[in-house]
Amino acid sequence: MTPHSPGTDQIDTLLQIGFVAAAIVVVAINVALVYAVRRNRAKRGVAAQPASEGRSGQFRVGAVLTAFAAIIFIVSVVFTSNARETPTSGATGLASAKTGPLTIKATGQQWLWRYDYPNGAFSYYKLVVPVDTAIKLELLSTDVVHTWNVPDLSGKRDAVPGKTNKVVFRADEEGEFVGDAATLSGQAYAAMRTAVEVVSPQAYEDFIKQQKTDIDSAQSRVVGLIENGEVP
Amino acid sequence: MSDKSRPELVIDGFPGKQRPRWVELATSADHKDLGRILITGSFGFLFIALVELLLMRLQLAIPENTFLSPVAFNRMLSLYGTSAIFLFALPLAIGLFYYVAPLQIGARGTALPRLGQIGVALWAMGALVLYAGFLFTPSEAGINPLSPLTELAFLANNGVDAWATATGLAMLGFILIAIDLLTTLRNMRAPGLAWRRVPVFSWAAAVASCLLLVIGPILLAALTMLMIDRNYDGIFFADGSGGAPLLWQHLSWIFFSGAYMLILIFAFAAIAEIVATFSGRPLANRGVVMGSLAAIAVLGTMAWMQNMLTAPIGIGWMYFAMLMSLALIVPFGLIVFNLITTMLGGALHMRAPLLFALGAISSISIGLAAEINHSMVAAAWELKNTTDATAATHFALVGGAVFGGFAALYYWFPKMTGRTMGENLARISFWTLAAGVLLTFVPLFFAGGEEGQVIDAYKFFDGTGVNGYNLIASIGSLVLAAGILMTLINAILSRVNGPEAGHDPWGGDSLEWFTLSPPEPHNFDVLPDVRSAQPMRDIREAIANRTASTEAPAEETQPVA
Repeated sequence: MTPHSPGTDQIDTLLQIGFVAAAIVVVAINVALVYAVRRNRAKRGVAAQPASEGRSGQFRVGAVLTAFAAIIFIVSVVFTSNARETPTSGATGLASAKTGPLTIKATGQQWLWRYDYPNGAFSYYKLVVPVDTAIKLELLSTDVVHTWNVPDLSGKRDAVPGKTNKVVFRADEEGEFVGDAATLSGQAYAAMRTAVEVVSPQAYEDFIKQQKTDIDSAQSRVVGLIENGEVP
Repeated sequence: MSDKSRPELVIDGFPGKQRPRWVELATSADHKDLGRILITGSFGFLFIALVELLLMRLQLAIPENTFLSPVAFNRMLSLYGTSAIFLFALPLAIGLFYYVAPLQIGARGTALPRLGQIGVALWAMGALVLYAGFLFTPSEAGINPLSPLTELAFLANNGVDAWATATGLAMLGFILIAIDLLTTLRNMRAPGLAWRRVPVFSWAAAVASCLLLVIGPILLAALTMLMIDRNYDGIFFADGSGGAPLLWQHLSWIFFSGAYMLILIFAFAAIAEIVATFSGRPLANRGVVMGSLAAIAVLGTMAWMQNMLTAPIGIGWMYFAMLMSLALIVPFGLIVFNLITTMLGGALHMRAPLLFALGAISSISIGLAAEINHSMVAAAWELKNTTDATAATHFALVGGAVFGGFAALYYWFPKMTGRTMGENLARISFWTLAAGVLLTFVPLFFAGGEEGQVIDAYKFFDGTGVNGYNLIASIGSLVLAAGILMTLINAILSRVNGPEAGHDPWGGDSLEWFTLSPPEPHNFDVLPDVRSAQPMRDIREAIANRTASTEAPAEETQPVA
């Protein structure tokens, strides 16, 4: 993942801290194992020592482990609360989203994402958002559990039927970011992908306006056909 | 007395009809026979799970492969997960507990043998139902089939019903065995064997039984609700009518987290026995290790929401789950610390059981260290349901159930059969297995952690940067399979051809080494008074002292008469 949002910046740093913590654990345990095996083989004439009872040593080890766990906990809480904060739109962002985030509804269904924009336009598969603008996605599902997952822009979130979940991000550059759905949702799960196209605010406005016009004209054409009796 | 000597009294009637061995085994209520059925059966299902894993890895060897259809892949995935957990790892742990623990506490049998017999029969029926699913349709819903995908509206064939029946039967069986085991451990310990002197493995059996009695009924409840939903118009997990899809997640993850911990508790207890025996000294701070095993059972199960960090639950619950998972660092750390302390003061005999036990510690250390990242809430948002999670879980559980299970097999095989397993084949198997685990799962860390490849998917796409990782993982799975097969073949060959082991081949400290190999049906003719946590060590020392006192001062005592 390459972070392109304030939230994923935080997550990226946290992941690196976590990687270091995990590496310390793995190296410490495995080096100790190899050392013990090399030093204490019976073949070398080492004699077993009688059992030692060092309860105070146990408290010291326990305290060190507790401190290690507590540090990881505190660091994670700090980065997590930063990462889940709704960002504010930047100077080059969408003008109408300066006060609050631009809210878009993302609905998962087998095996497609549908995005509903504030003006009533909608799109499937591809989400178009303005750059440098705070975005809030409201995640819904019409059937089974789906996970919205575009790693560069945000952590994963589940869309669970009957519940609303949310994703917040602010894309820092224009371009296309892709992601796969991340919860097994049936046969075509692997093909359930999505793309976020980050464009300039002007292009975004044009897109939703065009989309709205297209949808309206298509709908009125269908309504017309039905009224004329050409479609039963 | 030779066979030809004339009997003083003829009290037997006609000799009993000799029933075939398999009939004896199938109708036995002896914990050793039942334990052997579970252990043998679980290794059989390990082989089957391995075949399923290889088929999935073959499908994922190259991008957008069409070797398996999406439906076939999902079926393999469901069968693999269910086989690996319910038919391999859990029955292996429970079977070894059931075989060894009564011997370790000096019991002449179990308290409620019929319960154990029914338990093993139910487990076998569960296995039969799961694989009879092939006759109609196996489940397509994944390892933990999340509701509402399992509702009738989305999976209308009866695969999910077969899965729920199979896991339910197996789980009910485990619960019955746990009741028997816990009663036995509570009531039938040898004189002098207080709880504080109980061997670590038997203690772990008690902890695991308690854990099963908590998580088992929860899974059974969830499965019952699922069956009602699917077959009797229930609404437990169906959204929109007052049902809650998240309810299934809570209930099932409590079970799966507990089962994960159970496998690690089993592994660490077996490792502790093996490390102590092959170091030639008692386990350091065994009280701390025993307390830690109990703490793992409690904390690990309480951390179930660690699996739900992306679900719509409150942030406070997420921090609670993180707190519980990170708290596990303390008991796990204390156990590993004391294992290494034991080794550092010991004289190590690097035989197969110790080799596999060390491999288990190493593999579990990688898995649990990686799990730290999955506990850290924001990091989990990125890593959850990526192959990074697959790799972490497999390092921990292959470390626990395969390395740990093999270590226990090599260690107790002489007790079960009277023969030791081949040492050279064990070594080749160990290094092949180690190479296989690293080759298969390290690339998945990179594919998931770096490139975000998602789990459970029947294909991945070209150009996402994961082609190389997946190819290496697929090749590695063949090496992994070869390593596992070598030990399974070793066990089959050694059963008949292995060198005679004697009753106490390793110089173990606990009472199972006091009896014959293999033990008589009644386990013990006589029992020693237990005066410490190392009864066999006491006996050996007493014999040494007696020999010394009768041999050395013999000249002085001679003229008395």
